[in-house]
Amino acid sequence: MQAQVNKVVFVAAPEPVVAKAGATIDEVLKITVREGYHVNSDKPKDEFIIPLKLTWTGPVSVKQVTFPKAEEIDVNGQKLTVFTGSFPIRTQLSIPANTPKGKATVTGKLRYQACNSEMCLRPMTLDIELPVTIE
Amino acid sequence: MKTLKSMALITLAAWGLLAACSPSIPVDAASLRVSQDRKPAPDFSLKDASGASVKLSDYRGKVVLLNFWATWCGPCKVEIPWFIEFQQQYKDHGFVVLGVAMDEEGWDAVKPYMTDRKLNYRVLLGNDSVTQLYGGVDSLPTTFVIDKEGRIASAHVGLVAKNEYLGEIQSLLGIKTTSRITGNSSPLAVLAGAGQ
Repeated sequence: MQAQVNKVVFVAAPEPVVAKAGATIDEVLKITVREGYHVNSDKPKDEFIIPLKLTWTGPVSVKQVTFPKAEEIDVNGQKLTVFTGSFPIRTQLSIPANTPKGKATVTGKLRYQACNSEMCLRPMTLDIELPVTIE
Repeated sequence: MKTLKSMALITLAAWGLLAACSPSIPVDAASLRVSQDRKPAPDFSLKDASGASVKLSDYRGKVVLLNFWATWCGPCKVEIPWFIEFQQQYKDHGFVVLGVAMDEEGWDAVKPYMTDRKLNYRVLLGNDSVTQLYGGVDSLPTTFVIDKEGRIASAHVGLVAKNEYLGEIQSLLGIKTTSRITGNSSPLAVLAGAGQ
């Protein structure tokens, strides 16, 4: 199941999470980039390149977002650090101890900029909804 | 070394023979629309880096290469040196390059890039209203070559060959010259290398 469908980047819909107030959620998003395309890594080498970025909002605080090791590729003589194919992005989210019990939605925003060897797509942001039940 | 030199001389001779038979490398203008199929390029007004308003229709009577690009676009970086060269080479023949930058960060991103890459042509800051006039421009680079009558003579999405642009520009300007071979891949370079 795909949470969001864009031209070249897909994010698998996260499974609902049940957690206690004060706990830490370890959420792994599975990202897939259409064959032939790449998205810039979270730490591009060129200052003008738009990095991959994941942010979260909701009744949580973000402890850490971890991207995998990027690939180094050469496109038209330019050395780039990118992600291709399918890859995970791991996030540790902590639920404050005083969070009221009940259902909540944590929203992620994945900002990316994708290219192939001939063209680039304008930067896009995908919304990701993570349903959370706090016990 | 002797063998290498001989091979280089043979290559050079072959190159000379080829040049005699075909004295120039033909450029490609096949992608130009025939005159009666060309549609008017939608007019727009955008600001340039100095804050001046620039209308596309200001350039009626010139051949315009209208290039939508962005600082974060890798393939655009490949084309930009070509456009600098075209601007330099054909500015006195009624030709102009107009760059339309689509960076969301605006001039804060674009101006340093223009300085860094020594852009010699006018750059305007684009917006979605203008891109809608040109079919949305979802992909960069997207380039339109506009004839002297203000009509779209060709449209290119993505990186295309330099000679394709060159052929179109020369054809629209009525120039019958051809491209030059540059770089170090010519037989002359091979020969020079063989002597070292």
